[in-house]
Amino acid sequence: MKDAVRTTGLFKRYGAQVAVAGVDLVVPAGSFAGLVGPNGAGKTTTLSMITGLLRPDGGHAEIDGFHVWRDPVEVKARIGVLPEGLRLFERLSGRELLLYNGRLRGIPKAEAERRAADLLQVMDLADAADKLVVDYSTGMRKKIGLAAALLHNPSVLFLDEPFEGVDPVSANTLTEVLRGFTASGSTVIFSSHVMDLVERLCDWVSVMDRGHIVAQGPLERVRAGRSLNEAFLELVGGTRTGESQLSWLGRRDEP
Amino acid sequence: MTTVRLFAELKLRLLAGNLRGDLERKLGFVFTLVVAVLAAGAGFFLMGLIRLAPPDVAADLVIVLFTLFLLAWTTLPLMAFGLDDTLDPARLALFPLPTSRLAVGMFTASATGVWPAASLIVTVGALVALASGIGGFLIGTLAVLLQFALCLVASRLVTTSLSGALRSRRGRDVLAVAAIGAVLLFQLPNLLLNRDMGDPVALLHGAAQVLRWTPSGLAAHAIADGGWAGLAELAAVALVVVAAAWLWIKSLNRALVTTDASNPAASVRRDSGLVDRLLPDGPLAAVVTKELKYMRREPRYRVVWFSAVVLTAVLAISFGGDGPSGPAVPIALTAFGGLLVTMQLCNAFGIDGRSLWMNAVAIGSERGLSVDLAGRHLAGAIVGIPILVAVAVVTGVLTGGAGGIVWAVLTGLGVLGIGLGVGAVTSVVIPYTVPERLNAFTGAAPGQGGQAFASSMGAMAGVVLLSLPLLVPMLFGLLWVCALAPFYGLAAEVLGRRLAARIGFARMPEILAAVSKPV
Repeated sequence: MKDAVRTTGLFKRYGAQVAVAGVDLVVPAGSFAGLVGPNGAGKTTTLSMITGLLRPDGGHAEIDGFHVWRDPVEVKARIGVLPEGLRLFERLSGRELLLYNGRLRGIPKAEAERRAADLLQVMDLADAADKLVVDYSTGMRKKIGLAAALLHNPSVLFLDEPFEGVDPVSANTLTEVLRGFTASGSTVIFSSHVMDLVERLCDWVSVMDRGHIVAQGPLERVRAGRSLNEAFLELVGGTRTGESQLSWLGRRDEP
Repeated sequence: MTTVRLFAELKLRLLAGNLRGDLERKLGFVFTLVVAVLAAGAGFFLMGLIRLAPPDVAADLVIVLFTLFLLAWTTLPLMAFGLDDTLDPARLALFPLPTSRLAVGMFTASATGVWPAASLIVTVGALVALASGIGGFLIGTLAVLLQFALCLVASRLVTTSLSGALRSRRGRDVLAVAAIGAVLLFQLPNLLLNRDMGDPVALLHGAAQVLRWTPSGLAAHAIADGGWAGLAELAAVALVVVAAAWLWIKSLNRALVTTDASNPAASVRRDSGLVDRLLPDGPLAAVVTKELKYMRREPRYRVVWFSAVVLTAVLAISFGGDGPSGPAVPIALTAFGGLLVTMQLCNAFGIDGRSLWMNAVAIGSERGLSVDLAGRHLAGAIVGIPILVAVAVVTGVLTGGAGGIVWAVLTGLGVLGIGLGVGAVTSVVIPYTVPERLNAFTGAAPGQGGQAFASSMGAMAGVVLLSLPLLVPMLFGLLWVCALAPFYGLAAEVLGRRLAARIGFARMPEILAAVSKPV
């Protein structure tokens, strides 16, 4: 099977601190992939470098076989991105935001309008379509961001923490849309802290810790009979906190 | 005392934290520091010079200045609200601090910093200006400290009582546009000075007569008086400070327990606009439509455009009345208007800021970036050209040089084109973050003041330099070169845009990082 994403020795440092220390991320085409890791593991930095938003200090990344930094036209036409945070054009309405995105990528206006209307309907944003994004709630912003990332029908979708701060109803809408998207042969890569969610959605998992990929492969192989949460804690060494620490916590001295 | 130290340290740490790991920020901070030291030194020196004036004039001057300080202290932090975490009571709401300690702490935090220190030094200059004798200096020192405390407490009182409104989106929008008021306020003295207002000393005396009874006026007068009357005046000022502090603590109490008022979202119209229907469908039309919408809806755009218009109008009116007649004035003013309009676009990606990634992931080639810039330029021209025509017509009619109107418009178009071309280059070479909320001190994120300064100075120098081939022949009376100006401008725009697209596409990630600084 062809790889949708392949990086080799991707490296980034900020001053003395190494954020990503040579990441070899592989995601087969058509998979629903989860990138998991504790805070500060370098997930966001990695995704930013693969999507061309951040210049790596070393290594390279390929999407559908195209070099991210040498073939930007090919790569940018193929990817959809929902970066960390909710940075959108705040003073456009949801509909205008989608239209702007589509037309900036050369989709004719009529077609962009049709797709925008479809996406707004599916994302349950039809009522808020003509309100300014600045007044949207977190869940609405994630949904409009995902709609914008899907509008040009990318083959690989990068989502940084798409479910963070999203209510269960919106989260359900998001997963439905994403499942349909991968079922058609496209690839989704998303980063998350929520192991249950990754376990439920993904068929491919990459585990990052302190700038490295510590495990990668099909979900079943990575978790090897355990729950993903147990496997994850074992991989990143999350069981270090012994009982001797925090001994004061919860203790109430009688007066 | 521990609270004082804690909050002073907190503020200093926040200042230091803003600088960490970024050479540009450090340079920017050094720049701010140098400017503040210069301002403090010069302010102190000028205050000291007041001593050379006749005693009554000196007292009047200090009274007016003290009142202006108080006014500045109460209004300017309002513009800067949100840039300084130590000043927003909501940030501290969850800590178990009694209100009095919180008040002491926030008072300390607002007194700590480069600009408060500079302002205190300038205020101390009043001692040099007015005080005489040991008693005078003692009372004067007390008066200066009281005036400083009054400024701090008054500024805290205003920001705290408005903090609820300032946190809501609409409140911030309104306040951002209110920044225009500040711009106007600073232009007002210019206008007054240009119009003959009679004897300036009498004017000063009249103002001081009234302002003398304001708290800051009392403090200033007390320094000059230096006797028992001065002491009584200081007692009154101290009372005002205590009263303001009490009111502040009350409003602080309220601000800590009142939640943000949410505002219902309004819908926008769905029509796509005339421009969009006229332009051929494609990325260019998309960018132009978006930019025009942003100019209408984004308060920061409204502020910069409105102030450009106001500044040009002020100049037009002040020169129009009694300047030299003939085509020179309309031509010069329209050219200057063109410069001001294009200054708005010398950091084209700044207002997009953190949302620029949407363009970055869509634009895959130099051509794409060039189209993006062209869209921004077209939108700027659609708004800017009518302004320039209006300036040309108004100044032409006012100076009786109606014959110069056509020449003026042509020159204005030329300068506009040059400015857009130069602005495109500065946008990609020296990009910087425009804060969500404009404030009166700087148009850049903390630590990026230096870039903002370099960007606008560079753009201005570039425009002036490239305008020389037009301006020099005109100075020798060869007006026909005006006819070439629009073509020259267009060429400059195209070349500048191409160059910018080439440089900018290669350093898109760097531009993205520069305009997405946290503010």
